[in-house]
Amino acid sequence: MTAAKKGRKMTDKKKVAILWLGSCGGCDETIVDINELILGVVNSVDLVLWPVALDFKYHHIEKMADGEIALGIINGHVRNSDHAEMARLMRQKSQVILAFGACACFGGTPGLANLRSKEDIFRWVYQEAPTVINPKGVCPQTTTSLDGKELTLPEMFESVHSLDQVIDVDYYLPGCPPPPYLVLKAITAFLEDTLPAKGSSLASHKALCDTCPRNASKPNKVSITEIKRIHEVEADPTKCFLSQGIICMGPATRSGCGESCININIPCRGCFGHIELVADSGAKFLSGLASMIDADDEAGLEKISEQVRDTMGYLYRFSLPISIMNQKKL
Amino acid sequence: MKEKEPKIVCFSCRFSWGYLGSEEDIAARLENWIPIICTGKIDPVHILTAFRQGADGVLILGCPEGDCHYQDGNIEARKRITLLYNVLKSYGIERERLKLHLGADPVGKTMPQLVKEMADTVRKLGPRSGDNPIQKKSAARTK
Repeated sequence: MTAAKKGRKMTDKKKVAILWLGSCGGCDETIVDINELILGVVNSVDLVLWPVALDFKYHHIEKMADGEIALGIINGHVRNSDHAEMARLMRQKSQVILAFGACACFGGTPGLANLRSKEDIFRWVYQEAPTVINPKGVCPQTTTSLDGKELTLPEMFESVHSLDQVIDVDYYLPGCPPPPYLVLKAITAFLEDTLPAKGSSLASHKALCDTCPRNASKPNKVSITEIKRIHEVEADPTKCFLSQGIICMGPATRSGCGESCININIPCRGCFGHIELVADSGAKFLSGLASMIDADDEAGLEKISEQVRDTMGYLYRFSLPISIMNQKKL
Repeated sequence: MKEKEPKIVCFSCRFSWGYLGSEEDIAARLENWIPIICTGKIDPVHILTAFRQGADGVLILGCPEGDCHYQDGNIEARKRITLLYNVLKSYGIERERLKLHLGADPVGKTMPQLVKEMADTVRKLGPRSGDNPIQKKSAARTK
């Protein structure tokens, strides 16, 4: 470290805030997984918020001037009024907002909850689920009076939202979670002022099939006569999953994950989301899958169609909130 | 109150449907008509967009089996539609609201009748659940 850097005041450094909304914590974990290199990052920036690791409070952010934070990194989806409020505060105080991880970018796995209404979810969770014992029908309320005091809870929205359905987002870093090398690359690009055009995804622009180590084993025309689930067969670790009749989202998914699932003989589930200019990766994959199906008569076609168990789970595992039928601005 | 007429979006292949007729005449009789080069060009994205934008039903008119100008575009369309039924079901959209009809009518005289038949089928299903197709599914869920 140079003497000049050592002597640099805290205030000279770019301020960075990391926030989690509806998140499992995996995205924060991946930042930690940069390992010792994180020390260099921490030395180059002034971290002003990171709820999972540091004890800064939200009111510290509220007191900051608009645009004072150089980079706001937000992971997790927006499901309740607290998420939305914090996302808006971060937008106000940050020059650049990075949607971090599949949930912030596309709504993520929790977005599959959009197949049910809020009312339905509450009824199941607080009344109908077999493990629930709730004879009084207690259900969370946004306001409750207790001993003359009013207690409040955030309001759960009707749907799960991606971050850009709530605030303006500058960059996207997909993945569940994004791999550490891409996190480091994104932060380096930010520090060196080499970020691409606004709205870009800070990952590969190719489809996963393009970079898949099994690409060479893919026949010119994939022909599927039976769809199998990964746990039902012993998949050949060298052959294209689709050519084995196992659904793999590679053709419709952005590359950049390091093929981490493929390398452990698990097909792609689509956590890197859609490729550039694709409106609905689930619909696009469906189109591709249909062309691989080898059945000319209707009965055969119906039979194969029935073998696709949990169609929505396959097509929209990470992206239901941004799909054509489901997308909704908050 | 008069019942609302169902909105049917009709995609038709130019090689079998209406190529000898006047496009203006057919368009005047079919409100949401989209002539296309081949049913194999119809992507699930187009069908979902039609439903998203308020279509009550989507009718696709393709060439007779074995007669596709591009060899098997109509068969490809059938495969996509069959798989798409699974997706529509999750959104509470009944199978009857999406139909592929393979046949030919160069003058296009029968097209309004086919759309009307589709509208009749859809009318019997009742209105779609509006902006949020999920609601219907939730309401219909049983224990």
